[in-house]
Amino acid sequence: MPEGPGGRGESPADKARDDFFSEAQELLDGLSRDLLALDERSRRGESDPELINDVFRAVHTLKGLAGLFGAARMTALSHQLEDVLDDLRLGRIELTARVLDLLFQSVELYGLILSAEKGQAPEPSGEVESLLVALGELSSEHAGGGPGTLAHYDLDPSILGVLTEYEEHRLRTNIQSGLSLFRIRVQLSLATIDSALEDLKGKARPHGEIITYLPTGNGGETESIELEILIASQSTLEELRIPISGPNLTIEEVAKRAPTGRPSAAPLAVSPLRPQTPKVAAAPPAPSMLPSPPPAPPTSAGRGTLPPPPSVSMSPPRGAGGVPGGRDLSLRSVSQTVRVDIRKLDHLMNIVGELAIVRTALARTRERVRGNPALRELGIELHRLHRAFDRHLMQMQNGILEVRMVPLGQIFEKLARVVRQISREQDKQVNLVITGAETEIDKLIVEELSDPLMHMIRNAIDHGIESRDARVDVAKPPVGTIALNAFQKGNVVIIEVEDDGAGMKREVLMETAIRKNLITATEAEGLSPREIYNLVFLPGFTTREEATDLSGRGVGMDIVKTNIGKLGGVVDITSEPGIGTKIAVTLPITLAIISVLGVEVAGHSFAVPLASVEEAIVLDETLIRNFNGREAMTQRGVTLPVCRLAQLFGLADRPVGDLVSARKTKSCVVIAQVGDRRLGFIVDRLIGQQDIVIKPLGKSLSGVRGFAGATELGDQRVGLVLDVAALIEEVLASEKDLHLAYERRA
Amino acid sequence: MRQRLGTGMNRAAVRRAADIGKRVEYLAFSIAGELYAVKIAFVAEILKPLPITEVPRAPRNVVGVMSVRGRLVTVIDLRRRLRMPEAPIDAHTRILLTDIGQGEQIGLMVDRVNQVYRLAENEIEPADVLGGDQPAHIAGIGRPDRALLILLNLIPILTV
Repeated sequence: MPEGPGGRGESPADKARDDFFSEAQELLDGLSRDLLALDERSRRGESDPELINDVFRAVHTLKGLAGLFGAARMTALSHQLEDVLDDLRLGRIELTARVLDLLFQSVELYGLILSAEKGQAPEPSGEVESLLVALGELSSEHAGGGPGTLAHYDLDPSILGVLTEYEEHRLRTNIQSGLSLFRIRVQLSLATIDSALEDLKGKARPHGEIITYLPTGNGGETESIELEILIASQSTLEELRIPISGPNLTIEEVAKRAPTGRPSAAPLAVSPLRPQTPKVAAAPPAPSMLPSPPPAPPTSAGRGTLPPPPSVSMSPPRGAGGVPGGRDLSLRSVSQTVRVDIRKLDHLMNIVGELAIVRTALARTRERVRGNPALRELGIELHRLHRAFDRHLMQMQNGILEVRMVPLGQIFEKLARVVRQISREQDKQVNLVITGAETEIDKLIVEELSDPLMHMIRNAIDHGIESRDARVDVAKPPVGTIALNAFQKGNVVIIEVEDDGAGMKREVLMETAIRKNLITATEAEGLSPREIYNLVFLPGFTTREEATDLSGRGVGMDIVKTNIGKLGGVVDITSEPGIGTKIAVTLPITLAIISVLGVEVAGHSFAVPLASVEEAIVLDETLIRNFNGREAMTQRGVTLPVCRLAQLFGLADRPVGDLVSARKTKSCVVIAQVGDRRLGFIVDRLIGQQDIVIKPLGKSLSGVRGFAGATELGDQRVGLVLDVAALIEEVLASEKDLHLAYERRA
Repeated sequence: MRQRLGTGMNRAAVRRAADIGKRVEYLAFSIAGELYAVKIAFVAEILKPLPITEVPRAPRNVVGVMSVRGRLVTVIDLRRRLRMPEAPIDAHTRILLTDIGQGEQIGLMVDRVNQVYRLAENEIEPADVLGGDQPAHIAGIGRPDRALLILLNLIPILTV
């Protein structure tokens, strides 16, 4: 019997470790997302300092986490990465493709280290060492970077003096790329400084980059503060005046100086803002600095116990500005979410299943009570209770299913990384266009989906997208496109992988399938176009004569099909030579996944839900006793009624030829229990345990008792799933009927 | 009555029929050498036999269930339904995936699919030309030039 997750004794240390893994994984996911965005920007020749900052912060947090859990390799890697990212932030090194490669490699390596920490994989020690060396080399290749340009601007030396190295770098970069500098002076009330600054930032961001905020020290009243904001923008002053406006706000362009200014800017101090103005240092006590929304207890308590140091008064605007180092001092978590182990949800779902059995029992009791005229009132009440129970049970089931839903974006991000990696390895330029990343699907499906989708994308790049030259020859855009689309349609989710590559020729597919003896020439003649395309899902099918690193080994697409089939989904492929190939995966939104025990009876396979199987033993025919036409055996001193499934289902006995071999293999008894009723099903053979997706039989078979549904067994065959509760009820009830019949006759 | 309600396909077929002068398309297939036909509007797809799983205790006409692109479909053997001896599945056996708008597509196993006939009203004779008391599943007789088609009413056939 599988052990319920509710029963696991989880020590606090285990829980902390679990939290570590899930938090690290989340950070990695975010990291990878940011890197992909960076990659895209840099290919367009743009840079995004904010993104680099985000990456830097993620790595920094990872380092902290790793230190906390003694993951030494992770700490070392994070440390080295931090150095590289710091250099990137400060413009000491360029964000080249090689740097990006190393960053992506780091993400992969983090994943490997995490698996190793979980004990699921060997330690990637060699790889860590070599990456550390490579990263170290990057850091030492500092570009010189002349600071001369700053001298051309009429900037107050007192401002230049307090810029951090990072801000100075941003300033220089912006000036070098020909943007103009603007100075905004604004009076902000201390009470609302947070929101007002956010507001201003929002207005300014579309027009340029905010380099720094500094208090001028000229604030008029005690309740307000004057900030000087430096913005680099390509707009003119006139263009900026309209969007960036407000009370007590002035904006002016920073004048350019004649090139004969100071020869070069003095090396600027790499220091946090020094408390410059007495006004700010003597700011009102902390409580009035809090933003206007009601303060949460932990926050105010935290602040209240600390005497605010002078620099704290500076931190709200800096923190809001997203500049690293200026973190808001809050103990409150950012989001209102909890992380839940999917097994706990499974456990809840199992309880719902048990409750469904209770509901059935309740319905039976209700019918019995209703049959008795003396208990009419009680019957009505029971009926009402049953209906309420039924309704709430349904709501609970839906609620749990809803919680299990996660957006497909989770795996799409991983796939984007794969595309980048493969396209670089293959030296093909590929653009991945994702739509519908917000489409939600059961968490379990998402987990199982990444490998099949990865195979599909690899195939698309390897076989689909042509080389750059070949594309140019046929007047296609030199950069190939792979579209990854997801959308919901009724109660299924459809995921399409579509490439604009060479497509597949039907003749070639047929020829290959015939040559590889997968089909005969006569079979090939009768195939429809759709059937021809679907030949690629046959095991052993490949059109490549030589296997590449990625695909062409003839495994892959058949596994894709099998895996998708296991999830209750289907794959379909269409192609247009010269235009491209589209593979569509249709999946159920949620999985009614259950574990079953496969059994064979008279040559037919059936699945018995494991939830109601107590154990399975080898049948000893000599233990079977016949009571009044009913069979039973003694098991551990208790009478166990048994039922021959072949007989119950009226299945023909095995053909005579089979009898000899059948004698050798012993039959088995699958002991099932539902509620307090037990029954042994006699079957020919146990096939094994399997997780399956159960689907209802059609309406036309609703009159057939004893089956909860059916499932696809992978090779297109369908296996029926027994409705154990109904079968037990049927067998034991008919026993009761027998007695009744006997009594009547007597 | 129900046939009139039909599906989108049905309406499209009806429109097409109106275009060619009140003709209705029938899909003809054979069983034990006889030609039968059903309105093509009710046939969603023609399938080659997929592995079919027998369902114990199912009505006699039901061969079993099969999975059509992930959906479970009940398959009815038209031979059994018409009280004819069963025949083994061979290369010509086809399953008509029928949809009569009852929320479920049902597979109908036939010996071989022949062709599509466009029947004008005057080429269809009512069932009682064969004499009174014909079973409900016989809708009439189709008489396209020289051929003879037994037109089937799907609703009584598919009600298992």
